[in-house]
Amino acid sequence: MKELNELNLPEDLKYTEDHEWAKVEGDVVTIGINDYAQDQLGEIVFVELPESGDTFSQGDEFGSVESVKAVSEMYIPISGEVVEINEELEDAPEFVNNDCYEKGWIVKVKAKDLSEMDGLMDKAAYLDMLKG
Amino acid sequence: MNAQLKTTPLNKWHRDQGANMADFGGYDMPLWYETGVKNEHLAVLNSAGIFDTSHMACISVEAGKDQMDAFTLINDCFTRDITNLVSGRCVYGAFLDEQGHCIDDAIVYKFCDYQFMICVNAGMGGQIADHLEANKKDAAVVITDLSGKVAKMDIQGFNSARILSGLIQSPESVFTKMPYFSFKGHFNKTGSGADQVKLLDGTPVLLSRSGYTGEFGFEIFLDPNAIVDLWTGILKAGEKLGISACGLGARDSLRAGACLPLSHQDIGHWKFMNHPWDFALPYSEDKKSFTKEFLGADALSSAPSDRFVFPFVGESLKKVAAGEDTLVLEAGQTESIGQVLTCATDMGIGWNEGVIVSVASPNLPENIKIKGISCGFVMVSKRLSPGSKLTLKQGKRSILVTIVTDIRPDRTARKKLDNFI
Repeated sequence: MKELNELNLPEDLKYTEDHEWAKVEGDVVTIGINDYAQDQLGEIVFVELPESGDTFSQGDEFGSVESVKAVSEMYIPISGEVVEINEELEDAPEFVNNDCYEKGWIVKVKAKDLSEMDGLMDKAAYLDMLKG
Repeated sequence: MNAQLKTTPLNKWHRDQGANMADFGGYDMPLWYETGVKNEHLAVLNSAGIFDTSHMACISVEAGKDQMDAFTLINDCFTRDITNLVSGRCVYGAFLDEQGHCIDDAIVYKFCDYQFMICVNAGMGGQIADHLEANKKDAAVVITDLSGKVAKMDIQGFNSARILSGLIQSPESVFTKMPYFSFKGHFNKTGSGADQVKLLDGTPVLLSRSGYTGEFGFEIFLDPNAIVDLWTGILKAGEKLGISACGLGARDSLRAGACLPLSHQDIGHWKFMNHPWDFALPYSEDKKSFTKEFLGADALSSAPSDRFVFPFVGESLKKVAAGEDTLVLEAGQTESIGQVLTCATDMGIGWNEGVIVSVASPNLPENIKIKGISCGFVMVSKRLSPGSKLTLKQGKRSILVTIVTDIRPDRTARKKLDNFI
């Protein structure tokens, strides 16, 4: 497992208590699980995705990631409608391990209220949470 | 790394490879390497994998020459009947307390009538040694915890013998008459049968045709100073065949798929019966009694158990978390009848027209894409039949599973050695 100082946590992302990351581009938010989460889960063998058009409220479960031994639900960081899912993960779930912020993104959501982003953590706050 | 954790002689190698390490039974052990659990799991099914198991504990149980005390002590405490166990054979079973609860599962090795070795799980050497000491009464038996004095690594998968052939002296002789659950050699130069198996540099090893993956292979006991060379030698010799170093993740997933229990997870503090591992108890042919008396037998026999352990398979890779928080539901019911003990994924199996096939299955249909299936064990309060459907529900998440008698088909562990050399 990675030490905290080894984690890759980009400055331009926001983070949740459940270890998702979120990135705003216009009114669309791209969402995935962060380096800490993928490292803790180990090799991911399956990603359960929602469907485009599904709507969620902030904090709803929107899918799951499974490693050989563990399973972990993912919780949506922001309310809105799923406008795109990363279909490549069906055949290449390892993208979440190898490149969790680029090829391993999971869903894109059209935000209902972008101000919800303000309640998420920046890198420093997230690291503080991990340090307990 | 936590300074309190123990290390095996291969610890530096694991860390140099960038393995994901974790505390396991008080040891700093690799969960997986860069190759990942999936590839490590599949390497064992498709070729071979090696596992560092030096964290496991060995106990020597010896009596004076021609004395039966060592045999009697083990036979009184172990669940399997070793009356007919011949020298050079080993047997899987468990040690129970008086309540019939499992302290640990183990393999007993017989060197001769008065010399035995017991291999137990990480951190259990002292406890099992104490258990035997407490039960030996006045018997003249010397019980020695060999933790730290014997290293252990295992090679599992159908290419195991081919790879080992280039690293041991007289492989033709070693691999002759070596059935499943037999062993040859010794880890001490002066030990019984030490001349039977030697590495090319003369290092004696104990080579046991056993394992926990369900696949053909060997467990290897040797001097801790020799294990790094053997480990790297095996990796080099098996490189072109696709061998992989494997961590605890692959060991657990292979073991679950092979329908074998994980200690302190699938077996633990409940009566060790009504489980799918009949081979661990000394049942008579009609399964109505035991062939011998042993510690815990009365508790197993006298009280009806309300706990039954069954293997299950899921419909896909989807899993739930093991533990008491995941409900085990029968169709149409809302009250849980038990708990999930293990829920893992065997990456080497998949459904084909209602039947599970393995990547190693002969006549595997072309174009079939094997993605893996979740599998494991549930402990429930009633007897279920194979084919019974259950819903495992963890919060909003639920999966449908089927109770089965076996999980991964076409396993190679019991096949004749001639097939693999």
